[in-house]
Amino acid sequence: MAMIKVDHLTKTFEGKNAVNNLSFELSPGKCVALLGPNGAGKTTTLRMLSGLLKPSSGTVSFEGMKEDGDIREHIGYLPQYPVFHNWMSGKEFLVYVGQLANLTKPQAIEQAEKYLDRVGIADAKNRRIGKYSGGMKQRLGIAQAMIHSPQLLMLDEPVSSLDPIGRRDVLNLMEELKAQTTILFSTHILSDAEEVSDDLLLMHQGEMVESGSIESLREKHQTTKIHLTFRENVDTYLNKLREIPSISEGYIERNEVQLLVADIDQARIDILAKASSEQWPLIKFEVSRVSLEELFMKVVNQ
Amino acid sequence: MMQWKTIFKKEMLEYWRNFKWVWVPLVFILIAIMDPISTYYLPKILDAVGGLPDGAVFEMPEITPVAALMMSLSELSMFGVLVIVLMSMGLIAGERKSGVAELVLVKPVGYFTYISSKWGATLLLVWTSLIIGLLTSWYYVNLLYGDISFGALIQVIFFYGLWLTLVISITTFFNTLFKTPGIVGFLSIATIIVMSIFNQIFSHKITWFPNNLSSHIGDMLDSGSTSGELWGTALVTIIIIVALLFASLLAFRGKEMAN
Amino acid sequence: MEIVEVLPIVAPILVIQIILMIVGLIAWTKTDETNGPKWMWLLIILFFSVIGPILFFIIGRRQQ
Repeated sequence: MAMIKVDHLTKTFEGKNAVNNLSFELSPGKCVALLGPNGAGKTTTLRMLSGLLKPSSGTVSFEGMKEDGDIREHIGYLPQYPVFHNWMSGKEFLVYVGQLANLTKPQAIEQAEKYLDRVGIADAKNRRIGKYSGGMKQRLGIAQAMIHSPQLLMLDEPVSSLDPIGRRDVLNLMEELKAQTTILFSTHILSDAEEVSDDLLLMHQGEMVESGSIESLREKHQTTKIHLTFRENVDTYLNKLREIPSISEGYIERNEVQLLVADIDQARIDILAKASSEQWPLIKFEVSRVSLEELFMKVVNQ
Repeated sequence: MMQWKTIFKKEMLEYWRNFKWVWVPLVFILIAIMDPISTYYLPKILDAVGGLPDGAVFEMPEITPVAALMMSLSELSMFGVLVIVLMSMGLIAGERKSGVAELVLVKPVGYFTYISSKWGATLLLVWTSLIIGLLTSWYYVNLLYGDISFGALIQVIFFYGLWLTLVISITTFFNTLFKTPGIVGFLSIATIIVMSIFNQIFSHKITWFPNNLSSHIGDMLDSGSTSGELWGTALVTIIIIVALLFASLLAFRGKEMAN
Repeated sequence: MEIVEVLPIVAPILVIQIILMIVGLIAWTKTDETNGPKWMWLLIILFFSVIGPILFFIIGRRQQ
């Protein structure tokens, strides 16, 4: 059952399609990464989903929402560079936006306290936001997005501006929030996506290139790689290896023979048989899977 | 309504924190009393610095209390309006430019709620300042020039407040159109100047044009009765204010809240 | 013209000027970012009575 349905969404800026004919669905309870290089149209997509931008064409529909309903009631959104009222304290700001999200004042205060604690800035709650560090602002940003317990939490590049520690904290926080709400976040860094998300939407130049669960994508683009290290004469062995029919491609990288194979079991038997009969000076035999990073690069460079 | 109050209260808090509640009323007092006081003391000052050369006859025209109070209005129409435009040119534009609007308007806030609550907050600040400023001016006028009844003053405040409300509404309207406060300020001032030029050319034909509020107020003070023209002008001003708020909503709806 | 005669009239104006300057100074210390150098605004508030603080309130501070 889809919670949010995006149908042929297109956004044109000055004659150029920033987002082109984008269609996808999000199921409840998932953490989905919107992955793509800079300029892929990720931010534009999130802004259309949050109602900040109007689609040039196409629709966004939310499950159970009336035709004239306000999508903003169901979503929480954190822009890439959140800007707050710097003269307010963190708590004041949360109570303010909580009330804007139709919470009563006592509810807003309760939620504010809860999320201040949850995102780990409770100590600074009465300090002016102007005095917050970048990481603290990012956490406050997540708290303000969660204040009205939205069904969908959208985060635009939530970790890209943070230092390694801040990044770790925010990723952990997202991991926790996953239990509570559906998360859609954009990133241009694959490892962040792999770390917390269940599903990937891969965007490039405004279009959806690939989508699915991380596992299914790995499987779909499955190629196995065998790394071989020899004591000497790497080149001769490479040539001999290339004669084996189960090996589709072979090359040398960092003094190591790398082989791409389709059928790993067959290839292993062939290679090891040959190595043992010809007494190759083999030092290392390692099997690895082609990473999503390579898939990402391949898709993007197409 | 809850959200309206929330934004309104947030604006009030902001006005305390950035001292608008202190300096705007003070500035309105200064603007309002500047002219009546300096005019009263001008002959004495001239005297004190050595008087006029022999033979020169300097006749100060007798200034009536009404004329003195009208001086306040005339200064307010100049500097008061300038202060209002400058302090509210970022009312909405500033939030959109800085990016705070992106966080606020992604919450389920109606656009009209957002616009009208901010407009209302400015209104409260300006009306309060106007009342304090004109009360002070009235006190000095009574002291230096002669009596004006308190009832008359209330009427002056009410009708003149409509003019300042129109100024706030014009600025609010441009706030929804542009997100650079400087452009908002410039266009607001330009509009008010154009209106005043238009009024100077056509005032004898279109007596109900909002810019005539001041002169009708003067007539009211002189004659002691509110003319139909004053009421008519007030009504027209109110209609324009409502229309501007409506236009603000339409303009804002057509805007994208992020770029 | 006697000083005593003018005092009741002028005193309130002086008081307003002083309040404006003090509030301007408080706001100045609380402001993180000013348009232009911050020390310049201090001089403007201190040496241009009335106009200085008002200018600072209107255009001196960078608001968010």
